[in-house]
Amino acid sequence: MVKLIIDNKEIEAEEGKNLLQACLDNNIYIPNLCYLHGMDNPPASCRMCFVEIEGEHKPVTSCTVRVKDGMVVKTDTPDIRQLQRTALQLLLSVHDVDCAHCPANKKCELQRIAKFLKVGLKPKRLELLLKEPEIDDEHPLLDYYPNRCVLCGKCIHVCKTKLGQPLLAFARRGFYTTISFYGEKPASDLNSSCKNCLACVEICPVSAITLKNDSDQIAEA
Amino acid sequence: MNLASNENPDQLFSAIYEEAKRRRNAFKEADVPKIHIGMATCGIASGAIETKNAFETVLAERKIEARIHTVGCIGHCYAEPVVIIDNPGFPPIFYHQVTPGKAKMLVKYFLEKGDPLFEHLLGAMEENDLIPAVTDFPRFRQEKRVVMEKCGLIDPEDIYDYIAEGGYLTLVKALKLPPEDIITEVKNAGLRGRGGAGFPTGKKWELARTAKGQQKIVICNADEGDPGAYMDRTILESNPHLVLEGIAICAYAVGARKAVVYVRAEYPLAVKMVAKAIEQAKDLGLLGKRILGSSFDLEIELFRGSGAFVCGEETALIQSIEGNRGMPIHRPPYPVQNGLEGQPTVINNVKTLASIPHILDKGATLYRETGTEKSPGTAIFSVVGDVVHPGLVEIPMGVSLRTLIFDICGGIPNKKDFKAVQIGGPSGGCLPADFLDTPIDFDSLTQAGAMMGSGGMVVMDEDTCMVDVPRYFLDFTQNESCGKCTFCRIGTRHLLNILERITRGEGHEGDLEQLEHLSEEIKKGSLCGLGKTAPNPIITSLMYFYDEYEAHIKEKRCPAGMCRPLTAYYIDLDKCARGCDACVGSCPVEAIFTTSNRKKGVDQSLCVKCGECVVACPPEYNAVMKVSPPDLAPIVERPVDD
Amino acid sequence: MDNEIKAQEEAMLKDIASQLPAFGKERGSLIPILQMIQENNAYVAPEAIKMVAEHLGIPTCEVYGVATFYNQFRFHPPGRHHIKVCLGTACHIRGGEIILENFERKLEIAHGETTPDREFSLERVACVGCCALAPVAIVDETVHGHVAPSKVEGLMLGFRIEKEKEEREKQENESGQ
Repeated sequence: MVKLIIDNKEIEAEEGKNLLQACLDNNIYIPNLCYLHGMDNPPASCRMCFVEIEGEHKPVTSCTVRVKDGMVVKTDTPDIRQLQRTALQLLLSVHDVDCAHCPANKKCELQRIAKFLKVGLKPKRLELLLKEPEIDDEHPLLDYYPNRCVLCGKCIHVCKTKLGQPLLAFARRGFYTTISFYGEKPASDLNSSCKNCLACVEICPVSAITLKNDSDQIAEA
Repeated sequence: MNLASNENPDQLFSAIYEEAKRRRNAFKEADVPKIHIGMATCGIASGAIETKNAFETVLAERKIEARIHTVGCIGHCYAEPVVIIDNPGFPPIFYHQVTPGKAKMLVKYFLEKGDPLFEHLLGAMEENDLIPAVTDFPRFRQEKRVVMEKCGLIDPEDIYDYIAEGGYLTLVKALKLPPEDIITEVKNAGLRGRGGAGFPTGKKWELARTAKGQQKIVICNADEGDPGAYMDRTILESNPHLVLEGIAICAYAVGARKAVVYVRAEYPLAVKMVAKAIEQAKDLGLLGKRILGSSFDLEIELFRGSGAFVCGEETALIQSIEGNRGMPIHRPPYPVQNGLEGQPTVINNVKTLASIPHILDKGATLYRETGTEKSPGTAIFSVVGDVVHPGLVEIPMGVSLRTLIFDICGGIPNKKDFKAVQIGGPSGGCLPADFLDTPIDFDSLTQAGAMMGSGGMVVMDEDTCMVDVPRYFLDFTQNESCGKCTFCRIGTRHLLNILERITRGEGHEGDLEQLEHLSEEIKKGSLCGLGKTAPNPIITSLMYFYDEYEAHIKEKRCPAGMCRPLTAYYIDLDKCARGCDACVGSCPVEAIFTTSNRKKGVDQSLCVKCGECVVACPPEYNAVMKVSPPDLAPIVERPVDD
Repeated sequence: MDNEIKAQEEAMLKDIASQLPAFGKERGSLIPILQMIQENNAYVAPEAIKMVAEHLGIPTCEVYGVATFYNQFRFHPPGRHHIKVCLGTACHIRGGEIILENFERKLEIAHGETTPDREFSLERVACVGCCALAPVAIVDETVHGHVAPSKVEGLMLGFRIEKEKEEREKQENESGQ
């Protein structure tokens, strides 16, 4: 165990432990979307979990830092908060904010982070950029909502962990990056492997992957 | 550990060298004219194949014996197709823009009658009493060729041509040295990576050498993606063996037995040249197992990129070799610790590796005599855009931008004024005239707000809009963003959208503040170099050309007249010549009509603002006018019966 | 006509199947395999993606994910003549967009599309490295430098004449038989 100071508070953690995890374990919340406990190499793609570490001249993503003895970390500086707010505002600028009709309502990670950072869900400064089509319904069992997705990749990670080989992957590039179920697997096959699993549905922080008709039911309810 | 031990590489190599010399002498001493034709991509695009065919046909027709020697690119792109004729009794002469017609004339007059056709030559390649030498031109005089010394003079498809010029001799020398000594020499030379960031090469090699790993790997990064840059392509097409020799020395120094040349998919000729060079070097035992009898093995593989700019970033490059989406991963660990296949991997740019044989041959002290204290050696730029003599230029570090643009490349054509120079591609910035005396080196350029980058330099005259240029670059980076991280994927898209609105005349208050804010945040928050540097073109243009942004937003005017939605063409009826139809035929959309008094008018609703009519209008009338904002154009009604 | 296309497709897949064994089954072969398919057939068909996935023993969605990441790969058959307009920096400054628009207007398609008769496809590319010749267009494999709208007209006229000649010859051959 080593000692480090986070926001002026001394905590203990195993040497080499993921800094983000160490903070979360000690009830210091750092906004994050793409990190999962136990990941060897976190993707560091959501760009939320920034912290300042003494000795580093720039903010760093805490999910890519390993705990060292005597480390001095700050999670709540104005610079950090501004970066996190910008990242969130960017994500919300491509997000179809329609919480009332979304199964993630009230348990949504974006809502949680927005509340934490005191950011309105409908940022006024950035233009709203939505993609077509609204729903990708090629999967026999699941629907994918590109305008909800934050591209954290957790669904791919859990699918791969469970099956060894994922049934979904990132496709296309840049602004048009998407999650794709592309495959020639017969519907029955997917049905059986996916029906008893649904790990991707459960892990999704924003309900971008849902069981077919799930959201309709909520809307009706 | 000294890898080379048991046999003396000198002895094995001397046989190869003798053979190369024999071939070279046989070629040189043959009492017939030699015609050297530049056949790299630029040359071919300018018609070098047709020129070569013309030479062959005329030589056969007139039964003249001559040798045709295909060479790479000499870097004088404005002069393509370039031909150097070595006619016995004359110094070698450089001819420019040799069309098939000119080729025929050269055979008839120069080879048959001994008239070198002064009106078509640029100069002689060496000092003589008869013909002015090319070294009289600043372009030739002020260049300092180290890496490109043999480009355009030797046949890239013939390994013996390279060896006859001293090629692979440095590898032989290296194999006799302890690897640590080579690293020390490269460190002493102060060589900095030519891929753009300028990291000390020797240090990188040392890190790789001392890193733990089962095997080590060298990657030559030739994924040259900056639009406007083609130095790496030219070197690979013109002197591939120089790069292979550099790779081999690097591999020997760091202890690697495997190397990969990663070439951009868009460079088919470079791919062909490198593949052929690897085969030839293997055949002569200069690559492969037990190189020149030593215990040093090296396999060099060729990997072709698939068209993704981001793969120039080293972690993304490795991802793509491993068969994945080219998405960068967080550093550290750096590839030099944990790279391809999890092994310590040195990734060096083409120009960096191509500098190695020279450094080792001449020594660090001599290498340092060129360039500046902190940026020793030479810099290679592809200078393009609005300059009289575009092309590849190799200059000592420290030369000023003014010297490069105005003296070496001939300045701005068409009597226009210089406006800005864009350096460093999508990651760099635009510098205005105030910065023309900035010395070209890693630190000075970064300080000015641009960056060395990999060496793309685009010169812009007064007609270039400094809002459109960053818009262009953001369009590029936004397209090439891998999409992994939030800031780059979504942030660059917003930057582009705002710039597009401004260039359409739909900008509004707050846009510039938003651009500034987002740019700073994207720089700070992005995962890799692509995102971190993507806002640079915006940041520098806001810094140096703020008034142009304001003109677009507040007056809906493009001062350079480049943003088409903000400009209009009209025909000045006082200047237009009655009955002249020159512009009518040039218009691709039939927007030009004849007025009632047989002059011409532009139908603004049809005009696509391509500017062809300006070119078509005879200079003595010069009647087509361009204005911004577009409502300054007088309205000329189309006659009803037209 | 449909039968002809189907037969072509079958021949293509057969050819791909015969080439695959030459490539190793490790993940690193993925991009070289996709390049082989793209180069031989000018596009990567959905069926081919499936074959590659089977050969390497990886999920189809992963192959699709990699293929859609890179600019080089196309998923629809291109036209008989493929036109690429360079929009590198130098070409942009020298009016590359105007050239692209001219092609779009002449062919009545947008970039990234193929004409309905599959004669032409049009694409914009980032820098082909012939900046001193800007603006540049690559028609089939030939690089054309200093392209002006009038040169676009000339190129298209050349294609039309060639096509008319071909058709005339075809007719003559048929009537001769």
